[in-house]
Amino acid sequence: MKILVGIKRVVDFNVRVRVKPDGSGVDTDGAKMSINPFDEIALEEALRLREAGIASEVIVISIGDSSCQQQLRTGLAMGADRAIQVDTDIHLQPLAAARTMLAVIETEQPGLVILGKQAIDDDNNQTGQMLAALWNRPQATFASKVVVAGDTATVTREVDAGLETIEVDLPAVITTDLRLNTPRFVKLPDIMKAKRKPLEVIAFTELAVSNDNNIQIDHYAPPAVREKGIMVDSAAALVTELKSRGLL
Amino acid sequence: MERINKIQILQKELPDLELLADSRSLQIYGQDWTRFRQPDPLAVVFPRSVDQVQALVKFARLEKLALVPSGGRTGLSGGAVAASCELVVSFEKMRKISEFNPLEASLKVEAGVVTQALQAYAAEQGLFYPISFAAEGSAQIGGNIATNAGGIRVLRYGLTRDWVEGLTVVTGAGEVLELNRGLIKNASGYDLRHLFIGSEGTLGFIVAATIRLAQPPPPQTVMLLALESMPAVMSLFHSAKVYLKLSAFEFFSEQALNYVCQHRQLPQPLENPAPFYVLCEFDSDEEAALAVFEQGFADGNLLDGVISQSSAQAEELWQYREGISESITQFTPYKNDLSVRVSKVPEFMQELDQLVAESYPDFEVIWFGHIGDGNLHMNVLKPETMEVGEFERSCLLVNHAVYQLVEKYAGSVSAEHGIGLLKRNALRFCRSQAEINILRQVKRVFDPDNIMNPGKLLNDE
Repeated sequence: MKILVGIKRVVDFNVRVRVKPDGSGVDTDGAKMSINPFDEIALEEALRLREAGIASEVIVISIGDSSCQQQLRTGLAMGADRAIQVDTDIHLQPLAAARTMLAVIETEQPGLVILGKQAIDDDNNQTGQMLAALWNRPQATFASKVVVAGDTATVTREVDAGLETIEVDLPAVITTDLRLNTPRFVKLPDIMKAKRKPLEVIAFTELAVSNDNNIQIDHYAPPAVREKGIMVDSAAALVTELKSRGLL
Repeated sequence: MERINKIQILQKELPDLELLADSRSLQIYGQDWTRFRQPDPLAVVFPRSVDQVQALVKFARLEKLALVPSGGRTGLSGGAVAASCELVVSFEKMRKISEFNPLEASLKVEAGVVTQALQAYAAEQGLFYPISFAAEGSAQIGGNIATNAGGIRVLRYGLTRDWVEGLTVVTGAGEVLELNRGLIKNASGYDLRHLFIGSEGTLGFIVAATIRLAQPPPPQTVMLLALESMPAVMSLFHSAKVYLKLSAFEFFSEQALNYVCQHRQLPQPLENPAPFYVLCEFDSDEEAALAVFEQGFADGNLLDGVISQSSAQAEELWQYREGISESITQFTPYKNDLSVRVSKVPEFMQELDQLVAESYPDFEVIWFGHIGDGNLHMNVLKPETMEVGEFERSCLLVNHAVYQLVEKYAGSVSAEHGIGLLKRNALRFCRSQAEINILRQVKRVFDPDNIMNPGKLLNDE
C-alpha cells in the first residue's frame, strides 16, 4: 500500500508573526519556516505504518513554489521514499488544494492519504474533509490513534465530547491531531541520503485544476489588544463593578 | 528566647516590613539548591522598596544582625544559605520592570524580577535578553548579577556583567549608591558596578539594575551529536566555530543523558549510545551544518547526530541538556564548576578524568559543561547508603587534588556558580594571597560591620 502525506510549509509556530503595516498580509521575511506540525505528525504516522510492514511506500506532497522543496527534503530525510512538488506561486485555498491533491491521487492511487487536521498559518481545517468528498472515499478526522488491518482502518478521533472510535474502509483520508504521535528527529546522515531520493516537480497548470478562490481576503489585522484588568478590594466592589457594566 | 526578642525588636523598629518566622518558611527561604547545610535563619523579611532595604541595613548595623540576600534560591554553592541564625532578605516582592527605553534598548528591573520574565518582556518589545540557563524560570536577576551568571549562550553573548549598565545598591554601611547610571561610556574612575557584579551579596544588596537588551538573533537550529572521545569534542568545536555562527556549544556524558531520559521520561535521541554528546545551537544554515557533520564523520570523530527542523524540535533537543542538573538533584551531587582557558580544556580534562577515576572508584561522576567557554561541570553523586556529612568529607578530600590541578592550569574553582559557602576554602587555588587580602579590604570598605552575607565567598579570618 502507498501512503500519500500532505506537507505544508508554514511560519514556525514559535515565530511572533506581525501583520504588515498596510494590512495586505503577514510579514514572513526572514522568519523561520517549518513543516506544519500536524503534517509532521501525519508523516510520522505514515512512516510507522511502513516500518510495521503495513505500507510499502510513503510519498510526501507539497503545493507551492520551489521554497517548499526544503520541507519536502526534510520529509525525505525523516524517511519518506519520494516527494512531489506541485509548483505554483498562487496561494491556494483549501478547495483548490483538495482538487490538486485529487489530481495527484488519480495518478498515484494511494491506499491511504494522511493530512494534518489543519495548517497553523490559516487554521482552515477543511482540506482533508473536502478531499474525501471529492474523492468519494471515507474520512477519519482528528485522529489520535490509527490501527490498519486489511482493508480497514480503525481510528480513534478527538471529538468535543471525548474520544470516538470509527472504522473506515480503505482507501480513505485520515487527518491527524496532536496526540497521535511524536515525530522523530531528523538524523544528519539521513539528510545526506535524502539528497539522492527522487523529488518530482509537477506544474500546477499541468493538472488542469480549477483555482476559483471562493474566499476573498479583504485585509489583515492583528487581534485586538486585551484590555488591562482592574483589581477590586472586595466581593461587594466586584458586584458593584459588574453591575455598572450591565453584566449582572 | 533571644531569637524571639530579636524578631520582636525588628518588628517594633520596622513595623511595615513583611516578616515570616514559621518553621516551614525558614526551611524554604533558608537554603538554595545545595543540601549540605541545615537551614536555620532567624526569620525572613520581604522588603518592597529601596527605602525599606536601607532602613533594614541601618537597623542590622546597630543590632549586629547578619543578613543573607535571597532571590530564586537556585544557587549551587550555598551563597544564599542561612545556617547561622541570619536574617534572610527575600527580594521576591520587588519585581517591577520599568523605564523601557526603545532607543537605548534598555530597561530597569528590580532585584526580584525572574530571569524568564525579563526574557519574556524583552521578546514582547521585539528584543532579546540573551542570558539563559536551566534555572531561569525561578532564578532572579538580583541573584544573577550577584553571581555574574553565565549559562548556555556565553559563547556568543558574554556574561550577565556584559548586560548590566547600571546598578542601585544598598551597601553594608547603609548607603544607597547609583552605579554607572545606565551609561554606555563612562571613563570617570573606578567602576564600582563591576565590584558588585559577582560579589555574592558580601558588599551590599543589589536592589535594582539597568539592563541592556540585544537584537534577537536570526532563526536558530540545534544539533545533537554523538562522539567517541573528548578530543573528538574539541576537534568538533574547532570546525563548528569555523563553519557556523555558534550561539551555544555544550557537552555532556552518556551517564548525564541517561539520567535526563529517566527523569523526564524522554526517549533516547539517537539509536546507539555514545560516550559523549554535543549540543550546539547556531544561526540556521543546514548546508554548513552538514559540512561540519560530514567532516567529523569522515575524521571518525562523529558517530551520529540529529538536527532540529522546527523551533519545537530545537526546544525538545535542549531538554536533553537543560534537564541534567535537575535529574541528578536527587543524588545530592557534589558540584564542581571548573574553568580553564579554552585551549587547555583537552589536556586539563584528560588529567582530571584520570584523577577522578583513581580517586572516586566507588562514586558515579557526571560530566557536562559549556565547553566553548572552557567550563566543566563535574558532578559527583552521593551513593544512596552514604550519609551526607561523610559524603561531603570524601568529596573535600579529593577536591584538594582537583583544585591543585586547577591551580596548575591557572583555572578557576568556580566558573559561574560562585564561591558561596561550599567553595570558600578553595578560593586560594585561583586567587593569590595578595589578591585575597585586597578582597578582604574591599569588603571592609563596603561592609564595615561584616553583616552582609558573612562567611560567604571569604571565610572568617
